[in-house]
Parts: sequence; structure tokens; C-alpha cells
Amino acid sequence: MTRFIPPLLLVALLAVTTIVGWGGSAGGDPNTIKIVSSLPRTGSAKAQTDTIVGGMKMALDEAGYKAGKFNIEFLDWDDATAGAGQWTAEAETANANRAVGDPDVMVYLGTYNSGAAKISMPILNKAGLLMISPVNTWPGLTKPGMGDPGEPDIYRPSGEITYVRLVPTDDLQGPLGAQWAKELGFKSVYVLDDNEVYGKGIATLFIDACHELGIEVLGHESIDVKAQEFKPLMATIKSLKPDLVYFGGTTQSKGGQIAKDMVAAGLDAKLMVPDACYEEAFIESAGAENVNDRVYVTFGGLPPEQWTGAGARFRDEYIKQHGKKPEGYAIYGYEAAKAALEAIRTAGVKDRRAILEAARGIRDFDQGALGTWSFDENGDSTLTTISGLTIRNGQFEFVKLLGQ
Amino acid sequence: MSAPRWLDRMPAWPLYLAVLVAFPLLVYPNEVLFRWTGISIGGQLTYIFIYAILALGLNVVVGYTGILHLGIAAFFGIGAYVTGILTVPAYPFGVGFVAALVLSTGAAALAGILLGAPTLRLRGDYVAIVTLGFGEVTRFTLRNLEEITAGTRGLNPVPPPQLPAFLEPPLRLLGITPDWSLDYRLFYFLALGLLLVVIWLLHNLEDSRLGRAWMAIREDELAAACMGINASRVKLSAFALGCGLAGMAGCLYATVLASTAGPDAFDFNRSVLMLCCIILGGLGSLRGTLLGVLLLIGFDNVVAPVLDGFIQASGISSGDNRFLTFSNWKLMIFGLALILMMRFRPEGLLPSRQIEAEMHTPQPLTEETA
Amino acid sequence: MFPVLLAAAEAPDAWQTFLQYTLIGLSNGALFALVALGYTMVYGIIELINFAHGEVFMLGSFLALALIGVMGLEEAALWQRWLGIGLLFVVVPIFCGALNVGIDLAVYKPLRDAPKLAPLVSAIGVSFVLMNVGLLWGGAADRHFPDLVSRENLLGSEAALSFTYKDLMIVAVTVPIMIALSVFVKGTRLGKAMRATAQDPLAAKLMGINADRVISVTFAIGGALAGAAAVIYGLYINTVSYQMGFTNGLYAFTAAVLGGIGNIPGAVLGGLVIGLARAFGSGYVGERWTSALVFVILIAILVFRPAGLLGTHAREKV
Repeated sequence: MTRFIPPLLLVALLAVTTIVGWGGSAGGDPNTIKIVSSLPRTGSAKAQTDTIVGGMKMALDEAGYKAGKFNIEFLDWDDATAGAGQWTAEAETANANRAVGDPDVMVYLGTYNSGAAKISMPILNKAGLLMISPVNTWPGLTKPGMGDPGEPDIYRPSGEITYVRLVPTDDLQGPLGAQWAKELGFKSVYVLDDNEVYGKGIATLFIDACHELGIEVLGHESIDVKAQEFKPLMATIKSLKPDLVYFGGTTQSKGGQIAKDMVAAGLDAKLMVPDACYEEAFIESAGAENVNDRVYVTFGGLPPEQWTGAGARFRDEYIKQHGKKPEGYAIYGYEAAKAALEAIRTAGVKDRRAILEAARGIRDFDQGALGTWSFDENGDSTLTTISGLTIRNGQFEFVKLLGQ
Repeated sequence: MSAPRWLDRMPAWPLYLAVLVAFPLLVYPNEVLFRWTGISIGGQLTYIFIYAILALGLNVVVGYTGILHLGIAAFFGIGAYVTGILTVPAYPFGVGFVAALVLSTGAAALAGILLGAPTLRLRGDYVAIVTLGFGEVTRFTLRNLEEITAGTRGLNPVPPPQLPAFLEPPLRLLGITPDWSLDYRLFYFLALGLLLVVIWLLHNLEDSRLGRAWMAIREDELAAACMGINASRVKLSAFALGCGLAGMAGCLYATVLASTAGPDAFDFNRSVLMLCCIILGGLGSLRGTLLGVLLLIGFDNVVAPVLDGFIQASGISSGDNRFLTFSNWKLMIFGLALILMMRFRPEGLLPSRQIEAEMHTPQPLTEETA
Repeated sequence: MFPVLLAAAEAPDAWQTFLQYTLIGLSNGALFALVALGYTMVYGIIELINFAHGEVFMLGSFLALALIGVMGLEEAALWQRWLGIGLLFVVVPIFCGALNVGIDLAVYKPLRDAPKLAPLVSAIGVSFVLMNVGLLWGGAADRHFPDLVSRENLLGSEAALSFTYKDLMIVAVTVPIMIALSVFVKGTRLGKAMRATAQDPLAAKLMGINADRVISVTFAIGGALAGAAAVIYGLYINTVSYQMGFTNGLYAFTAAVLGGIGNIPGAVLGGLVIGLARAFGSGYVGERWTSALVFVILIAILVFRPAGLLGTHAREKV
């Protein structure tokens, strides 16, 4: 009769939980609020999400895990699985449902991948739960007419905006990068992207701007991010003799390898990369000698050494804790957590609706590291500062503010 | 202890089924389990049912017929993307769920036939690498044909099925809101229902003429051919059915997620994971396959996040130490589990009777290599 | 070889680019081939697709990186560098060989009589475990592998065609290794025992061959080749990460099958074909289709030559 034991155990579990549920009651400590993050913590994006979570924890540490009268509990959730090695739609769904179902959760910090945001946005939207994304840059998530048809309304079944984000979307950074290339005197460019939502989006916008500005685009290729090297590609590019190579992609999608293989192929062209490569890991993975004086970086916001006020304090504290300057992504993680704390503090009540409205109502916020910004009517931050940087002696060096 | 004879004959599965049907209908167990674990067990079970259909399809190919298939995820993806193309508003088709289900199952089966017809005559492990290669080609095609598949953005939103009006009152009676996006239980029962149909179908096939032909080929292709079995046609039928079931699972997956996800959801890792499920559970065994899926997908989707939550709540993993972060150990746990299970139950946890019998008779000593 | 290359450096542009692709393809192909040999040898003996092989290769490159740090090779004088690199080519293969043998003894050996797919799943498990070890060892991000070998162009710094010391290193290391391997397999007693075991394990046993020893030697050699490949990879590609084993393993395995699995010259040929296919694919089809192209070629070749390029067609279970 052993075969009846497992199902009978299940029946017993049902019975026990029913009785427990009858007796017990839901709801936790009225003075505790949970902030959760949902980022891919296993697999290929891990290095970058490590820095984002690091930034979030810095912000919470600074506030002593307090916002107003509330104690803050922070949970770092994974939307990747070991089996898949990357974010999965069902893990992101599970995280969203978990957040919705837990009455203590008031803020959802995520996602890393714009594709994941498309999955969890409608779920959180229906529950009226505030979602702050540190790094999603796909314009269609917030901006009508900038993405696929129907976006962003398909993510807002309740008709209300529950998703806000900090990072300037790609429609800003790509064109400004092209303008800077023009100012630097580049006549021709070869454009690469990583074939991901972010990289391809920004590369396409960069190309459009190049056409307008009269920079000759010699070619456009998407790379396979799982490839190990790009030597044949560099041979092709070398034969076209461009002044500049633009790579729309991240450190993890082989930005470092591209810089390295350009040098290895004897290519004299300079390289321009967007904000996702603005991190020490980019220099580390490319090898400083391969990027010194030959790479231009665009970045939404100001680099750490230009910060003042609260930002400067964050920078000094970060350097004290980690022994190095905070990364581009760490800053957005930090700022997202700051915004969450600000919303909870101004709302003053443990209520999703109130906190959501408080977040949407954030105006002229200057307590973070990104300067002064507000959320606009789409849920985008008004951050439009794009800086241009270069790499010298193995360090990022601020050159100028772009578009001014 | 002697049991009454009727109890002796009664199978255990109706009890499992009763639990699966009763669980989402009872309010308290869900609530309590959610409070303990933070995971909506019912919601995750829906995915487990879908993966079970996928694994059962793979089991037809690998378990019954003995063809090593390393690219099942491609057919899962074909099902999902055909469903996406047929249903999303960006395309003019806008067909209903049932039509999408049939068409995506058919499309995946057709893709299986097109791949299998020229390649299934290859020796065992060469077929494995062909399927692996096809899997990668499919993934890159989904990625690169952006005009059709929207590239890494994925196709969305995939609309939920139309609920027949006559079903609404009984659903309300059971306490289910008849809105697909508000109540996970609609998808839960849809997936469970389809899974049951698939199980019933395969159970009947196992003892049919065709099913026995599959297994004969698994055991000895040459002998089977000598007995008058048209080996290539029989293998192709298994391949088509397996791939078709994968396509069906893909259609369900896209419908439940309301999105096709991205091409990378259908990569080699997914194929390997499904293969691990069926081998771990016991090749060629329906019960084994179901158990394998429950354990492996359950670990990935339920146990790992719950453990992670407990560890974070306990405060061990705070700080930047990479040795103390749970997610840095997931692969290790997963890998060790696979190794240990294979070490102690190489035939799988619930092997089919035939394979178990083989394990306990001395192997014929002739082995051949190329 | 040099006169040809120097003459080619004078050729028109399109030809130069073509030659450049060829050179890159052959260099990368030689790397794939070294890893593929480990797959093919193990498969030849015990019919196991050793999924963990790529991860052994990955750990080898992490060891090389760590050793370079310990020895301080980046700042060392030129002769010290060469000595250090020579040392890497000794230590890393020994480590990888030992690791590979250890994995076999601990994990695969108890499963020799199990159903064929059980060791396959174990191999996948080992691959996950080793990948996790790599993650804990080297972290999640890509690591830069120091540029110890000069990338000075041997054809002169002005030449459009580039053939560097690095490319020369690949030739200088892989060719002797492959010659030594084929001499070993063809000529020595142990090599003969290996071939005999691969052909018919039972008959080999009856002839007094110690099958366990042969299997261990096979794993040791396969691992050592992966170790050598790991050092070359680091010095040539200059990036290592905990995920590199997966991709390289996949291509190396494909190379082994393409050439005819179990066939040693076949693995080398398969590696070169894949290297060239990738280079020409990138050059003439489009970078993003490169990987898909490799597998399309694979499927096409197998349809027309069912046992791979050099494999002999053996019927199963006759």
C-alpha cells in the first residue's frame, strides 16, 4: 500500500493548511514595508545586477533601512533560473505575483531586461503596485508612439501609470552620441549592435541621427553575444576603413571583446559605446591598454567625480565601502531605491495607492546621485543630462556634457 | 497487513488527480502556502503542467523510440511563435485559442517531419547533434528575422482564450472569476486538462501497435526491421508526435504568459533541462516523466526562490561576499543533484517496467563503435 | 608559408580580405580542434558525449590566468615571459588532465554499465558544478587575459594582411601536439590498446588489455589537450569567463561530429571546417548568421555523409 502514502500525505497537507488558514490571519507588521527587486541574479547578467543591487543596498544603508516611520525590509529576488541561466518569463511572472500577493510589498524595483518588464508590468499594473525600473531603456514601455504598435497601453490594463523609470531612454542617448561624433570630426562610422532590445534600439537611433548629420554609415551588423571573438568581423571593418566604430551593447554582450579585437586586427578607428559599457568591468574585460585614448562613452547623468551634494556623499561612502568609484548601473540602482524611499516617506502611510501617487508626484528630486529630476506624465524621469567620457590611463574621464 | 482486494486493485492516480483538482479550489491551502513560501504554488503548477506536456513529447522521442533529441526547445519555440503570429494584434490573423493550438501543434509536427525525414536514418548520436544544431538554427532565426518575430522583443500581447458563455455561471459557483488575467485557476485547469488528454493519449499509444513498434526500435532497430517494421516511417511518426506535443506546450506557454517571451527562452539549456527531467524520472515512463518535471522544474521555479528567500531573511547573505550569495550556488546544487541521482538510480526514479527489467538482466556483451 | 603570405600581401583588396578570413578561420579552427580531440577520444572509447569537457577547458584558462598573476608575468622581462608561458603549457595541461581523470573515476566510472543516457546526464551535472566553480573562482564578469604574446605583424606593420606572433604561436603549438598525438595513437603500445578498446571493448579485454587504464589515459590526454587549448585560447582571444566552456564545448563537439566522431584526424578537420565556416560566414553572409550557418553546414554534411567527413559508416547492432 506504499503507493498510497504520497497522495495521502498531500491530502493531509491540504487538510492541515486549511485548518491553519481558518485560524490564522494574514497581514504582517503595520510598521514594516518591503521593497523587492527582481533582477537576473543567475547567469550572464549577474555581474551587472550585482552592481545594481549593490547600489540599492547603499541607498537603504544610508537611510538606515528607514523611511519616515516605517522599517524597510529589502528582498533581492532572482528572475533568472539556474536551468535557463538567464531571466525567464515564468520566474518574472512568479516574482510579480509574489509581490502582488504579499501585502507588505509596496515597491517593486525592476526589471533589468526590457523584455521582462513587458511580462511583469501588466500584472503589477492591475494590482496598482509601484514599479520603478532602474535600467529599462526600451522607449515603448512608457512613450506612446516610440515603440511597437499598441505600446505602452497594452502594459497598462488598469489604464493607470504604475511604472516609472529613471534611466534616460535610448531615443535621447543615441542621437546625442551621433552629434558628438560629428563634433569630434568623424566622417564615417561602422555600427555594431548586440541584437538585444537595448543595444539594437540605441544603434538604430544612432544610425538615424548619423544620416541626418551627414556622417557616412559604412555598415551595420548585429553580433552573436555568445560568440567568443570577432576577428573576421574586424577584418571586414578594417577593409572599409571607418573613422569610428559604434557598438550598441553592454559589457556583458561583449563590449570588451570588441574593443580588444579592434586593436588586435590593427584597426585605427576609435570606438564609441553607450552607457551600458560605462563601468569598470568594461575596462577590466577589454584590458586598459586596448581602450586608453581610443574609446568614447556616452552616459545618462553625470559621472561620479562631477557630483555635488548628496551625490558626492554617496560617492565618498561608496568608495569607502567598495574601494572604487560607483558604476553607471550602481548609480541607477541607488537612485531607484532612493526614489522608492522618498515615495514611502512622502506618502506616510502603508498603502500601495498612496505610495504610487507619491512616486508619480516626485518633482525636483535632488537627494540622489543623478542631479535634479522629476517624473513626467509618462512615468519617465526628466533626466536628460548625457555626458561624454573617454578612457585615459585605465580610468573614465569626463569630457563634456552632450547636446549643450 | 492485508488490504481488501478492491483496494489492492485500485490505482493511486485518481487520488493525485483529486488533490490537483481540489487544491486550487480550496482557498485556505493556497493562502497558507503563499504565506509560508511566498510562491503561488498553483500558478507555478500551471507551468509545471506545460513543461510536463513538453517532457512527455520528448519522452516519445527519447524514451519510447530511443532517439536522442537535443533540440526539443526549438519545437517548443515554434509552437509559441506560431501562436504569437496567429494571435497578436500586430498581425491580421487574430485566430482563437483552439485554432492556434491546433495550428501550432501541426506546425511543430511538420517542422519535425521536415527535419526528421532526411536525418533520422543517421546513427544515434549523429541525430542528437542534428537536433542540437536545428535548435540553435531556430533560435538564431527567431532572433534575426526581426520583421516577423520582433527579434528579442518577442511578440505580445497574446490574448487569452475566449471563455464560452455557458461556463461562466458554474465557474462563479466554484469561486473562480471568469477573467484569465485575474484568476490563475482558469489557466491552471486548462493546462491540467490538456495534460490529462495527452497522458491518456500516450497511455493508450504505449500498448498500441505503433507504441510497441517504437519500443521495438529502441531495443533493436535491426531486429525490428526484420520483423517487418518500417523503421524509418515508425521513427518519423514518433519524432513528429513528440515535436507536435512540444509545439502544443509552446502554444500554451505563450498563451499563459500572454507573450512569446524572447528567442532565448528556447535555447539549448531548455532542451538539456527537459532531457534531464525525463532521464531523471525514468525514460519511457509516463509517471517517471511527470515526477522528473515536478522535481527539476519545481526546484528551479519553487524551491530555489523559497530557499533564497529564507536565506536572505536569515541575514546570512548580506554584503558583497560572493560565497555567501545563494544565487552563486544554484548551479552547483543543481549539478550535484543530477550527479547523485544518476549515481544511485541510473535507470531513473520511476523507470518503465521494461527498462527496469533490462537493468536487472545481464547485458549482452557485444558493443560496437564506429 | 611566408613567401606565399608576403606575395598575398601584394594582392588586391578583396583577395586580401579573403586571405585574412582564411587565416583567422584556420587559427580559430585549430583551437576548436584541440578541444574537439578530447570529445572525440572519449567518445571513441566509452561512447559518452562528455558535456563537462568544455568546463575543464574553462577551468584550465582560469588556472592559467591565476598563474600569470602569481608569477607576475605581465611586468616580467621578455625571456622570463617566454619561460613563464612555457611553464603554463606544462602546468595547465597536467591540471586539466588530472581533473578530467578525477571526474571520470568519481562520476562516470560507476556508471559504465548503466543505461547509456545516465552518464550523459551526469556529465551535464558535472558541467554545471564546474561552471559554478568557475563562477566562484573568477566571478561573473568577463576577465581580461594579459596580452603576453606580441601582436606585431610578421608581414611588416604596414601590410594590410595581418599574421602576428599570436597566429604563429597557434601553429607552433597545435601542429606538434597533433603530430605527437597521432604518433602516440598509431605507434605506441598504449595507443594501440586505445584503438583496440575503441573498436571492440570486449575483444580488447580478452586480449589482456586493461580497459580501465586505457580509459583513464584517454581522459588524461583529452584533458591535457583541453588544458593546452585553454592556454592558447587565453593568449590568443585574451578573454576568459566562466561561461566560455559552454560555447567552445558546443563548437568543439560539433567539430568532432562533423569530422566523424571517434575519429582523430576527423576532429582536426572538423575544427578547421568550423573555424573557416565562421570566418567566411561572418565575412560574406553576416555576423549574426554565423553560428546558425555552422549548424546548417553541419546538418547538410551529415545528410550527405551520414558518418561525418572522415568517419566510416558502421552499422549499429549487427
